[in-house]
Amino acid sequence: MNANEPILKIDNLVKKYGEKTAVDNITLHIKRGSFFGILGPNGAGKSSTIHCTTGISTITSGTITIDGVDVVTDYKEARKKVGLSPQEFNVDIFATPEQLLDYVGGYYGMTKAERAPRREELLTRFDLQEHRKKKFQQLSGGLKRRTMLARGLMHAPELMILDEPTAGVDVQQRHDLWDYLRELNQQRGKTIILTSHYIEEIEALCDEIAIINNGRIIAQGSKDEFIKDGNSLESKYLEITKGDNY
Amino acid sequence: MVRREIERTLRVIVQTLVSPVMSAALYIFIFGSVIGTRIDEMGGVPYITFVFPGILMLQVIMAAFGSSSSSLYFARFTKGIEEILTAPFSFAEMMFGYMFGAVVRSLIVATLIIVVGLLFGAVTLVNPIGFFLYIIAVSSIFSLLGILVALWAQGFEQLSVMNTFVIMPFMYLGGIFYSITLLPEVAQIITRLNPFFYFIDGIRGSMIGVHEADPLLGMAVIGGLLIGLGTLVTYLFKIGWRIRS
Repeated sequence: MNANEPILKIDNLVKKYGEKTAVDNITLHIKRGSFFGILGPNGAGKSSTIHCTTGISTITSGTITIDGVDVVTDYKEARKKVGLSPQEFNVDIFATPEQLLDYVGGYYGMTKAERAPRREELLTRFDLQEHRKKKFQQLSGGLKRRTMLARGLMHAPELMILDEPTAGVDVQQRHDLWDYLRELNQQRGKTIILTSHYIEEIEALCDEIAIINNGRIIAQGSKDEFIKDGNSLESKYLEITKGDNY
Repeated sequence: MVRREIERTLRVIVQTLVSPVMSAALYIFIFGSVIGTRIDEMGGVPYITFVFPGILMLQVIMAAFGSSSSSLYFARFTKGIEEILTAPFSFAEMMFGYMFGAVVRSLIVATLIIVVGLLFGAVTLVNPIGFFLYIIAVSSIFSLLGILVALWAQGFEQLSVMNTFVIMPFMYLGGIFYSITLLPEVAQIITRLNPFFYFIDGIRGSMIGVHEADPLLGMAVIGGLLIGLGTLVTYLFKIGWRIRS
């Protein structure tokens, strides 16, 4: 695969739930190695776009490729290339963090010998060692969120999609996670797509940003372009979404 | 995925393994020591020996159906299914994952019930390989039915509908506790239209060596159901019926 090719190509994506159009003809190309932020109000179409990309939702029309692999026609290969930390805790709530990481490693074809060191690395990195044997449902919100992140990273995907990854995480842990995400992006070359309600999080981490509203991309560019007039990203975001009266 | 299903079974061992074995032990005691002593031979063997395969099949079916239906329905309910949907599984692999997990639970239940049956002197096994294959085939069929019900159900109550209105009536009327030669001719014909009759006949035949149905016809019924249900489940996973938004 050409290193200059976008790692994620979404072309003319439409997603409808019955009569409701959640994603309305979105085209989005995300270059390899970028830290890409997606902003938008609740119900804007961010999660629907992510769900179509990762296989949680079906696609009404349009195409999505990850690293050149179509997510519908070659879905098994496409799934291997992406890791997801979803907004909702979509796990077996009676399983432990240790089990959850181990299961996911198995899903992605990792052998026991491959899974064990990777699992330990992630449990340590996310401060989950002392909670590794607790059931997921017994964990605090922050621990659950960290478990979800660790799970998404277990198979070391090239593309990581983080849907509200720090919701419910305290400030100190959030900054620690930011450091880890920067390391993943800058030192290991992983492409990260981040959605967050914390605009400062997007501003601190992302180099490219798209704003989605009413299922459409209403603004896209580098972070520097968004804040070039001396505005904060937040004020620019409010200005853009306020004027978007579809 | 299979390992996850097995560990899930072992997390609730009282419900998944102890309960069916206790239930089977009570059936064996009642049919063997209480009622069986007052009934002459059936099918050329003591009544408890005749009825034991039915008791075993009853629990095997419940284990297989319960495993896949509860696992998948709960995954839908908690959105845990998304973990499977985002993993690199083919739709057939998804089906086999749930199915094999259920079959393993059924095999454990069957083994434990055989141990109990041996204590009561109720077990004969003339064709162990055939018995093993029939148990796998029958539990596979009910694990697939469990998947279908888990996909269809919109609430916990609906999970029990299949059990109450299909499995139980068809099972009890399929000859698990009696020989169909005891029935009037019309009832015999109707019983032969019941697929459960072929399930129990296959398992019983492999245990006591006596078939009431043509074994080839039984294998065709079982094979046809396996292929049909397997194809349907794979198709429903493919289109994402009730699991993909």
